Amino acid sequence: MTLTGLLACPLLGMLIVLLLPKTAVRLIRLTALAATAAAFAVSMGLLLQFDAASPQMQLMQRAAWIPQLNIFYSVGIDGISLPLVWLTTLLSFLACMGSWVIKDRQKEYFALYLLLEVGMLGTFVALDLFLFYVFWEVVLVPMYFLIGIWGGGRREYSAFKFFVYTLTGSLFMLLAILTLWLKLGTFDVLAITRTGRTLEVPLQQWLFAAFFLGFAVKVPVVPFHTWLPDAHVDAPTPGSVLLAGILLKMGGYGFLRMAYPFFPEAARMAGWVIALLGVISIVYGAFVALAQTDFKKLVAYSSVSHMGFVLLGLASLTKEGVNGALFQMISHGLISGAMFLLVGVLYERTHTRQLEDFGGLGARVPVYAGFLIFFSLASLGLPGLSGFVAEFLALLGAFGPWRWQTIVSTLGIVLAAAYMLKVIRQVLLGPLNAKWQTLAEMTWWERCTLIPLMAGVLGLGVYPLALLSLQDAAVQQFLSQVIR
Amino acid sequence: MGGVLQDSVNAWWPEAILSAGALLVILTTGRRAALTITWVALMAAAAALWRSPVPPPTDVFYGFITCDRFSAAFRWIALGTTALVALMACASRREVEQSRRGEYLGLLLFIAVGLMLMAEANHLLMAYLSMEMVSLSSYLLVGFADQRRSAEAALKYLLFGALCSALMLFGMSLLFGLTGALSFGELRQASYGIAGAALPAALVAGALMLAGLAFKISMVPFHQWTPDAYEGAPIPVTALLSVGPKAAGLALLIRVLEALGPLGERLLPLLLVLTVVTMTFGNLVALVQTNVKRLLAYSTIGQVGYLLIGLVAATAKGREALLVYLAAYLFMNLGVFACALAVFHDTGSESLEAFRGLAQRAPGLSAVCAIFLLSLAGVPPLFGFVGKFLLFSSALQEGWGWVAVAAALNSAVALYYYANLIRLMYFAAPLQATAVRPAMGLRVALAVCAGATLVLGLWPAGVVEWTSRISGTLL
Repeated sequence: MTLTGLLACPLLGMLIVLLLPKTAVRLIRLTALAATAAAFAVSMGLLLQFDAASPQMQLMQRAAWIPQLNIFYSVGIDGISLPLVWLTTLLSFLACMGSWVIKDRQKEYFALYLLLEVGMLGTFVALDLFLFYVFWEVVLVPMYFLIGIWGGGRREYSAFKFFVYTLTGSLFMLLAILTLWLKLGTFDVLAITRTGRTLEVPLQQWLFAAFFLGFAVKVPVVPFHTWLPDAHVDAPTPGSVLLAGILLKMGGYGFLRMAYPFFPEAARMAGWVIALLGVISIVYGAFVALAQTDFKKLVAYSSVSHMGFVLLGLASLTKEGVNGALFQMISHGLISGAMFLLVGVLYERTHTRQLEDFGGLGARVPVYAGFLIFFSLASLGLPGLSGFVAEFLALLGAFGPWRWQTIVSTLGIVLAAAYMLKVIRQVLLGPLNAKWQTLAEMTWWERCTLIPLMAGVLGLGVYPLALLSLQDAAVQQFLSQVIR
Repeated sequence: MGGVLQDSVNAWWPEAILSAGALLVILTTGRRAALTITWVALMAAAAALWRSPVPPPTDVFYGFITCDRFSAAFRWIALGTTALVALMACASRREVEQSRRGEYLGLLLFIAVGLMLMAEANHLLMAYLSMEMVSLSSYLLVGFADQRRSAEAALKYLLFGALCSALMLFGMSLLFGLTGALSFGELRQASYGIAGAALPAALVAGALMLAGLAFKISMVPFHQWTPDAYEGAPIPVTALLSVGPKAAGLALLIRVLEALGPLGERLLPLLLVLTVVTMTFGNLVALVQTNVKRLLAYSTIGQVGYLLIGLVAATAKGREALLVYLAAYLFMNLGVFACALAVFHDTGSESLEAFRGLAQRAPGLSAVCAIFLLSLAGVPPLFGFVGKFLLFSSALQEGWGWVAVAAALNSAVALYYYANLIRLMYFAAPLQATAVRPAMGLRVALAVCAGATLVLGLWPAGVVEWTSRISGTLL
């Protein structure tokens, strides 16, 4: 069970899919499913091998890649990246099951899908900035095609907007990476974590701002979020699941792994900006979600709001806050992934996403209703489910340093209740719309994609220590790096 | 003296073989014979270049040319470009009459000789002659397509080119008058002595000389000929013009700046501004193009802008970056042109619309085309990214944060039109359902370019090592 093995699973799967004839749809699907399942199995193995008590990088592997430029293939995981790796493999597997809805050009689809998984996993395990940047950008290209070819609505426009927005953000990050290399002579993340703080403060601030730009577009932080509703809505269901579930977390992970530990001084100085942007994202995202009439768009904007808690928790620089931020990333990954799958299930059957078109479905499709109610409650932060733990921790941590911001943020939770209950009311309650008399119940296949997410949300809500104990040591170390 | 002559001939076999091949090809009439001679000449030249001593033991041709590692790199680039373009030219049956194929290939080989000489020139006369050799052959080749548009393009190109070479010649004569030197080595020594009233005159002379070179590499404000000539010329010729003269022109520019010594350094700020203007102009105008050749013409101007960063940085790192990016540019740009040629053969159209739905008609062709375009846009892990990465870092190393930021913004703008082409290929529905079948030669060219773009992007260590040895020897 090595990290290289983890990356190799989807990569090999992609190569096999490319070699298969495009008419062998069944075989292509099974190959993709097997590859994502293998990656999930490896990540479970990593979980067993991982020593949660140690804050150090573990399972590191290092090999020269471009020795002339001091560039290495260097990977490793700690308590911050392992949960994200696990989330990535889980969601990739489930969304691969959800990819059965793709009806044309399957060979291209699954090849790109597996390449996407390579990129996402690589981003979370890379310990060399050059390697990190390569993986970071590798994610963009397949997602661009997934949205553009298999999406709906204004898919071309949305794909393009997604590509240009994120690439522009990351180009500034590239310049910062280059500057670090010229100043410190290395791309090694761990080395820069030690030496980045020696740079003079104004330079630190510039570099922090450049990294911030790259990551903020991805999270996304208001006002860099405008690509998100378009991309999420127009992407095919599995694409939306991965976008909301994983791609947004890449930004949050970047803050935790790079922007903060590299430039602690600048990060502390920018604390109020980050907290403020977090609050704005939470409240603004929630208000806009409340105003949506399109189910998918509502879920997309709720992501902006929920990811704001990551920023708020991070800005607190307290043990509770940062743990909450990390917890929120995992929790939101599970919940939003499930929500997008649920939207997809309904859309497959009705070909509409307008909330007012539904009504009374609760009696017609009780299993679907059960799932929807469960994940809606999780999303609005019902105690006993994972969302509550995450947001509670983030608010708890932030209350000390950023008092009024935290008070305003709680508005986001109230609004979340409003818009999620609105969804339940408009979709499930009321008189049954005559059009949906014959609406089919969820298939077993669809239920199987949601049950693991349900178990995760419930498990983390009831016993949050499972995740907290995994990440706590790394969070402590993170704080000691940033606060010192 | 016998030693010098012998060494000169030894060092110069590739050019001699190519020249002989070119003369023979022009005289042949049969298609098969022309192709055979071209390929034999190219292969023999490659073998000779492989065997040629670098650097030769004495000053070859009495210092008129120099065969150091730096020029060897550019000779390989010239040879590689010509070979790939010859593959495309063989496949291209639509644009050029069969009976004129001998001349067509012959001129191609002459350009190759000229490009090699440009990179080797160590003397103002040699520089001028080699540039004229490339230019004259190019004027002819641009006018080779059987269309009025082609003739018009050639005439425009000729007039503009004549003006620029006149400017350059004027600058050279001024410089000779001021210093009494013609060879680059003497010029460099003499340039340190220029002071007082002679200095402005020398700067003007240097700037005039740069004008001629700027014309060759399509640097703003000497770029106007580019879109018209590119649009009118047969596609393989356009491909050649977009890579060969750019590479050789940059090589010569580096040498000339070196020869101008302190004068060159004084001209660098001007060049730096023009660098940023060039890339911004090229990328912005490319956004609104609808013809694939014009699009690629403006994209070339933008790409030259990036390349110039490495040149203006005037450090070993900068030159290393320039060389790596040139190598990447060679493969990715020729690759895109090969794709455009394949589409042109199939549809007879050069409009961007001809790419519509290509992914469903020719999945392989679209996939490699997407690879080239993404590489041109600088997306990792493709070869173009490695070059861009090094170029950006050379700008930052010089402390030119604003240049690096401008280049980064330019990359984002450039993504717009490269992605647009990908969008047409993949997201749009095809206009017709038949499969596209590129000719054999084209397939080989595409495979070579795609392989290099992908493999050298993933494992660039070898190229980086090679270029760092070259750039280390020059300074």
